[in-house]
Amino acid sequence: MAEARKSMIKIKPKKYKVGDIVKVDFIVIHPMDTGMKKDKKTGEIKPAHYIDNITFSFDGTPFTTMKVWESISTNPYFSVNYKVTGKGKISVEYTDNQGEKNSKSKKVKPKD
Amino acid sequence: MERRKFIQGMFTATAVATITTPTTMFADETKKAAKKGPNDMSFDEAVKTITSDKGAKESDKIKLTVPEIAENGAVVPVKIEIDHPMEEKNYVKAIHVLNKGNGNARCADIMLTPANAKGYFATRVKLSKTQDVVALVELSDGTFIQTAKSVKVTIGGCG
Repeated sequence: MAEARKSMIKIKPKKYKVGDIVKVDFIVIHPMDTGMKKDKKTGEIKPAHYIDNITFSFDGTPFTTMKVWESISTNPYFSVNYKVTGKGKISVEYTDNQGEKNSKSKKVKPKD
Repeated sequence: MERRKFIQGMFTATAVATITTPTTMFADETKKAAKKGPNDMSFDEAVKTITSDKGAKESDKIKLTVPEIAENGAVVPVKIEIDHPMEEKNYVKAIHVLNKGNGNARCADIMLTPANAKGYFATRVKLSKTQDVVALVELSDGTFIQTAKSVKVTIGGCG
């Protein structure tokens, strides 16, 4: 496939302890085409191209799964809560309707 | 003779006009109908498929935060918070973000687990026109609750 998409995971607030509830934000650069818009240069209708499945997991066990349609904005942003249980890695896997598959991960380092 | 011809001509012209105007209008409608997304679904259909015909109750447990007026329909922030415990056996199972005016009524389905610790979700959606945004929430005991809020859109964000 094409080069890997730019994506980012943010954990808010930056400093957290075990047992804290944090926000996990996931942002990805993606066109999210609806299949209805015309390309301004060529005048042809762009085919639909949108993210359809997202899985948030911590150390391999998924805690949130999402199904997404084209009504989500370009360069989508998703935010969920998560209770910190210890050191580990949050990873987000996502696929789109044209078969692209990507993932991004971030270490969880609680301070005591 | 001249005058009679002229009047006849006028009649035929109006007749033609009356016949043609409705057909052109129909043509416009078919054009609009043809402009459809790949997986269009009406709001009622979406609710039916999600709740499997059970329907949902209005509830004030859900706090849905949307702007009253969105200047740009392409980026409308949506925030959903649910005042419900997240325990092993009693938790928020899923949040469905729906709209009433876009071609496809479904925006996103979020399946939560007790590990999330709070029923919370935020994202940004596209809205084609002024319409209602609906948060439909499934609890772990199989019941559905919902709440809706209208958003005024100045410039549509789809197609």
